[in-house]
Amino acid sequence: MLSCKQVASLASQYLDKDTSTPLNWQIRLHLLMCANCRRFVRHLKITRTLAKNIELTDNAIDTETIWKHLQEKIQQEKSKNENNHSPENKSQE
Amino acid sequence: MDENVLITLLIAGDDKAFRYLISQYQALMLSIARAIVGDVFADEIVQESWVSVYKNIAGFEKRASLKTWLLTIVSNQAKARLRKESRMVSLDQLDGEIPGSYLDNTNFKGNGHWQHPVTSWSIESPEALLEEKQLQICINKTLNQLPPAQKAAFILRDIEQQSFEDICSILNVSASNVRVLVHRARLTLMQVIDRYQETGSC
Repeated sequence: MLSCKQVASLASQYLDKDTSTPLNWQIRLHLLMCANCRRFVRHLKITRTLAKNIELTDNAIDTETIWKHLQEKIQQEKSKNENNHSPENKSQE
Repeated sequence: MDENVLITLLIAGDDKAFRYLISQYQALMLSIARAIVGDVFADEIVQESWVSVYKNIAGFEKRASLKTWLLTIVSNQAKARLRKESRMVSLDQLDGEIPGSYLDNTNFKGNGHWQHPVTSWSIESPEALLEEKQLQICINKTLNQLPPAQKAAFILRDIEQQSFEDICSILNVSASNVRVLVHRARLTLMQVIDRYQETGSC
């Protein structure tokens, strides 16, 4: 018989359908008998649903500055290549 | 913007489209870089990634989505830096349970049963909870305060809906560690909702 602590640790895996069949049954058996863990798993499921719909508000992104740095870097590399005609063999993704 | 249109513009060298790309993906790429190499190098890694994107976009083939391609680039840049610095940063966050978290031993009796009943919620409908503006603010705030690896794993899994397999390779952690990271992040956010249900604030 699983303890509440074990069920609480496995709850995400259970919700993500990522537990083996025997383990899945053990969790379901526990949930059948334990109102606290049922509530816990239910709340976790709501949390997951809520998360899917989160609008990420990150600290303001300064697109223009990033763009400027990018242009500078490209210019630098260009002039470097023009100065010494060494072939570039950097591997790129 | 439609992805195909965006890609066409990017390949054609449209600056405005590239700026749009930055505004859309900078935050996500920064989360990935932070998770892999930590705060100190993250900005630099993302900046280098944009250079790589800029130089290689003309050859982009639509075998993968634009997002997957960008994530792979930033992940590879960060991993390369990690090898160079030869230090592991992100896995520190896996050690031990955070005091006060749901899985903390003090929440359980010796036999593994709950010490106290699990907090009940007055609102259990996700739709209704999504209407709560203050709760959104609280969730966002907490998400931004999560340890970097947890934050990145959570965003990739629950918001971006990437597979565990892809997350493992992007973040450079084992499958079981990704699961632990995602679970911890969810539990932390669940506690935010607990508190909000009780007090109406963060």
